Amino acid sequence: MTVIEVSGLTRRYSGGFEAVRGISFEVERGEMFALLGTNGAGKTSTVEVVEGLSSPAAGSVSVLGHDPFRERSLVRPRIGVMLQEGGFPPDLTVAEATKMWAGTLTSPRPVDEALSLVDLTHRASVRVKQLSGGERRRLDLALALLGKPEVLFLDEPTTGLDPESRRNTWELIRALLHEGVTVLLTTHYLEEAQTLADRLAIMHRGRIVAQGTVSEVVDAYPSRISFVAPRGVALPVVADTDAAGRVTVRTNNLQETLHELLAWAHVNSVELSGLDARSASLEEAFLAIAEEAA
Amino acid sequence: MRAVAVGQAELTLFWRNKTALFNSLALPLLLAPALMAAANAEGKPLIVGLIGFVLVMAVYYNLVTTFVARREELVLKRLRVGELTDPEILLGASLPSVVVALGQIVLFSAIVAVMTEVAVPTRPWFLVLGVAGGVAVFVLLAAASSAFTRTVEMAQVTSLPILVACLLGSGLFFPLSMLPEGVASAMRLLPLNPVLDLARAGWDGGPVLQPMIVLAVWIVLGTYAVRRWFRWDPRR
Repeated sequence: MTVIEVSGLTRRYSGGFEAVRGISFEVERGEMFALLGTNGAGKTSTVEVVEGLSSPAAGSVSVLGHDPFRERSLVRPRIGVMLQEGGFPPDLTVAEATKMWAGTLTSPRPVDEALSLVDLTHRASVRVKQLSGGERRRLDLALALLGKPEVLFLDEPTTGLDPESRRNTWELIRALLHEGVTVLLTTHYLEEAQTLADRLAIMHRGRIVAQGTVSEVVDAYPSRISFVAPRGVALPVVADTDAAGRVTVRTNNLQETLHELLAWAHVNSVELSGLDARSASLEEAFLAIAEEAA
Repeated sequence: MRAVAVGQAELTLFWRNKTALFNSLALPLLLAPALMAAANAEGKPLIVGLIGFVLVMAVYYNLVTTFVARREELVLKRLRVGELTDPEILLGASLPSVVVALGQIVLFSAIVAVMTEVAVPTRPWFLVLGVAGGVAVFVLLAAASSAFTRTVEMAQVTSLPILVACLLGSGLFFPLSMLPEGVASAMRLLPLNPVLDLARAGWDGGPVLQPMIVLAVWIVLGTYAVRRWFRWDPRR
């Protein structure tokens, strides 16, 4: 079942600036779809339209079969939103902010349960303004989960979290996906998308420039072998050498090329110092796309 | 009602905000002697004057600051991704200021009534209508003013035009009959005047139709202004 359907979405701001230029994607039930992109690529502008905060200038959006902007009252009880920045009165305590939010929902979880999901139970009586950045992110996640949503929107959910809290948050999100919750994620952390997302799209200047599963997106980019070779040797493969003498070889068949190179080095007694070989990662694909598009 | 959840949180914040507490609780008390002198210690004008002050200070001024503060803290934006409708959000955020204002009006009126042995209103429904309409108008005007206010500090400046116009034009400090006829008539169209006229009509047989029309027009204008200009996000 398709839960989120975005087709030809364009968003224009009052100044005439087009932040999103005709993008399309679909998210299935229980799937996590990640939107990646450089700053200003249009991720948040896109997500805000899907959440129903504003209407698209062109194109259409459907969430759980309804228009999230015009049929807000049908969609909102079934979704949970974690905005990029909190939005809690700084003088309320964690428990008060959660209780307030629960009071606005049709069928909320108990406040204690929501806080324990994100490990904030021990901070319940602390004012929001005294929380660390990571704790505030977790409170935001607790509120997004408070209404037992079928669809969850996460805008940079782990920014400012320490590594342990980040792992815990990932575990929590995985458990939700397992229960059949659909997630639309935007993040700066490519590792996060690579670990969690079933499919992703990379945005650049309002357009989607790559879309698919992580391996579909990454496989389009070559693997890389790099090392420092003694000066003056003729290498058996095509390579770039930078000013510091570091050689980079790009290949679509890492195993073959690496074998060839190591055999050659063995036969010729050449030392390849600082040898490093790796498959393309999402990070490399992302950087290459950003560079190409710039 | 879902808006009450927001109202309760706002009430908690109100008790923790010393400036707001002072503005709405202490200020009217300090102003009472001045009004007392202007009213020659007569009960009815004193009650009418206090209603005017409470509406302008505890409802209008407080709410301009509240709306701006919640907008800049991104609280309004967050509430807007939830289940509440836009009117519910505004209602919830206004609730404590309105409750405090109504409480003050009742309390002051009771004190004044005891002190001056003012007569019981013969047509109390006009008094109630005036106060209710006044609350509606000043909540709407506060929401509209907040759209033109970038920071909480700026609220002191941006609220001045309505604050000063309403109080000076209300006839609370000097009778409007002192002014040239044209100016006086224009003053009667200000948002506070019909409220006070209706309040007075609770005791006297004064005209009620014209103030009711003026008040209704202000409510319509206020609603339009809020729909047209109200900002849910900070300007970035």
